[in-house]
Amino acid sequence: MQPCSREMQAMNPLLNPAQQIPLQDLQSTAHQQIQNPHFDPTSSHDDFLEQMLSPLSSCSWSDLKSPWDPPKSDDTGPSNVGFHYDEILASKLRQHQINGGGVSSPATAAIKMMTQQQMLLPGRGVAAMPLSLGTSGGAAGSHHQNDIVDGSSFKSPNQQGGEGSMQSLYNGFSDGSLPGTNQTQHFHHPQAPNFGATAGTVMKQSQASGSTTPAQPKQRVRARRGQATDPHSIAERLRRERIAERMKALQELVPNANKTDKASMLDEIIDYVKFLQLQVKVLSMSRLGGAAAVAPLVADMPSEGGGDCANGGGSIQRNSNGNQTSADNDSVTVTEHQVAKLMEEDMGSAMQYLQGKGLCLMPISLATAISTATCHSRMNPNKGGPLLQSNGEGQGPSSPSMSVLSVQSATRANGGLDGSASVSKP
Amino acid sequence: MNKYNPPRMNPSSLRSRFATRFLRSLSEINAQKPTASSSSPTEIFRRYRRIKVAADKSMAYSVRSRRTWSRAMLWKLRTRPCGRRSVKTSTIVRKTRHEKQNKNTTTATTTGEDGVVSGVEADELRELVPGGEAMDLYNLLDETAHYIKCLTTQVQVMKKIADFYSP
Repeated sequence: MQPCSREMQAMNPLLNPAQQIPLQDLQSTAHQQIQNPHFDPTSSHDDFLEQMLSPLSSCSWSDLKSPWDPPKSDDTGPSNVGFHYDEILASKLRQHQINGGGVSSPATAAIKMMTQQQMLLPGRGVAAMPLSLGTSGGAAGSHHQNDIVDGSSFKSPNQQGGEGSMQSLYNGFSDGSLPGTNQTQHFHHPQAPNFGATAGTVMKQSQASGSTTPAQPKQRVRARRGQATDPHSIAERLRRERIAERMKALQELVPNANKTDKASMLDEIIDYVKFLQLQVKVLSMSRLGGAAAVAPLVADMPSEGGGDCANGGGSIQRNSNGNQTSADNDSVTVTEHQVAKLMEEDMGSAMQYLQGKGLCLMPISLATAISTATCHSRMNPNKGGPLLQSNGEGQGPSSPSMSVLSVQSATRANGGLDGSASVSKP
Repeated sequence: MNKYNPPRMNPSSLRSRFATRFLRSLSEINAQKPTASSSSPTEIFRRYRRIKVAADKSMAYSVRSRRTWSRAMLWKLRTRPCGRRSVKTSTIVRKTRHEKQNKNTTTATTTGEDGVVSGVEADELRELVPGGEAMDLYNLLDETAHYIKCLTTQVQVMKKIADFYSP
C-alpha cells in the first residue's frame, strides 16, 4: 500500500523497498483472516518484520492505520497484519512506548494507544482492537466494538499514569459508538476527549500525507493547539493536566479561591501558607501567657500554669485584659515590641492577605477581653461575628506594626467566636 | 480547674495525634521553665521558640515520614540544635536523588504556556514548604496541599488550647 510504503520511506529509507513487499503480501494474503494460524506467510517475515518494526514501530503502525481511512474499504488486511504483530512486537512496542518513542511520528499517539490496548488484552481477540480502531467496515467494526469497550474499561495496574488518559481516549471512542461505518467520521466529530481529537488529527495527517505522492517526505501538518501528537507534547500535556488537578485540589483547601488563572492561584496558595505559618507563630507567642500547656495529661499543672499568668510572660494577656492604654505599661510595650518584631518579617504578606479578605488577626487573650465588653465601644459591635474590621476604624495603633486582626477562618472552623486568635493591639 | 474531656473523635486522626503530642511537649516545656524569669524579651523569645519548635515537631511526628515535608522538617529540627552544620545540603542532595525516582523529569520553570506555572512563584512556594527545594512542581503541589491541611489542623488545635486555657 502506498501510504504504508511512504511512511516507511520517511522513517527509514533503507528498509523501504523491502517493507512494501511484505506488507503488501501480508495484506493480500491475510485479507479477511483473523486467525493467526491461517496467517502463514507472515511467519517467514517475522524476523524481517521485527527488523523493520523495531525502530519504526510507530511508523509501521501508522501505515497500518492509514489505509483504514474511508476511501480504502479493503483495509482489513493491515489490521490483521497489525494484530498479528502483537506477539512479536509487544515487548518492543511497549519499550518504545515507555521510552517515549524517539520517533516524532504523527501517529505515535495512536500507536501507543494500540500498544497499550494490546498490553491490556494479551490473550483476547487482540485482533479486534486494531480492527475496531481503524476499520471502515461495518460488520467487523460493530462486532469488535464490544472488545474495544471492554478493553477500554479494563485497567492494567502496572501501566503508567498516562494510561488513564489513553483509557479515556478509548472510552471516548466507544462512547462515540464507533458506528461501524466510517472511522474517520468519528474522528472528525470531536465527541471524543482531547486524545480522541489527537487520534483524529493523527488520522487526518496520515490521510493527508497518504494522499500525496509516495516519494515526498512525510508532511508535518502543524497540530492544532492542544492536539499535538508529539510524544513530548503529549507528555507535557499530561503533566499539565495533572498539575491542574492538583491545583484544583489546592483550591479547595485555600479559602477564597476563585481560580482565575494559575498564577493568581499560586499567589493565593503562597499567601495562605505564609498566613498559616504566621498564625502558628502568633499562637505560640500567645501561649506564653500561660494558657500554656496545662495538659490534661498532667494533673498537677494548673496551679503552675496559673502562676505563670502573673509573670511578665503574661504581659500580653495582661494587656488584653481590658487594659486599653497599654502603651504606658513598659513591660507590655516591650512585649508588644517583641511580638511586633517577631511578626514583622511576615507581617507584610500576612497583612496583605488578610486585608484582602477583610480579616484581621487577634490575640486570643484579646478576644476574651473583647468578650468582656471593654472593647465593645471601640470595636465593631459585631464582635461575635466572624469578621473584625481592620484597624483603621477604631483607634490608631500605638505600636505601628501592630494592628488588630482577627481570623475569620478560625471562627469559621471552630464555629464560635472564642476561637479567634491573636495579636494584641488595642 | 475542671477536667477537660476531649471530644469523641477519631483517636488516630491527624488532629488527635498532633494534639496529644503537642500537649505533652507543652507540659514538658512548662515543667522546665523557671518561674520568674519570663519577663525579659529574650526569655519570652526563647520560650516562644521552644513552643513553636514543639508545635512543629509534634506536627512532623504526627505525620511521620509519610510526607516529604515532614521528613525535611524533622531533619531540620534534629540538626538545628546541634549547630549550623551544612547538613541541609546533603539532605537536599539525598532527597533529590530520592525524589528523582518518583518525580517526573520535567522542570517547573516553563512559562508562557497556557496553564503552566511560572518558575518564580514555584520557587517561592518551595521556600515556604519545608523540603520543597528538591521537588518538581507536581510533587510540590501535592506536598503543599498536605502541608496546608496539617497547618490548619495545627492552628485549630493550638487555638483551642489557648482558648481553653486563657482566662
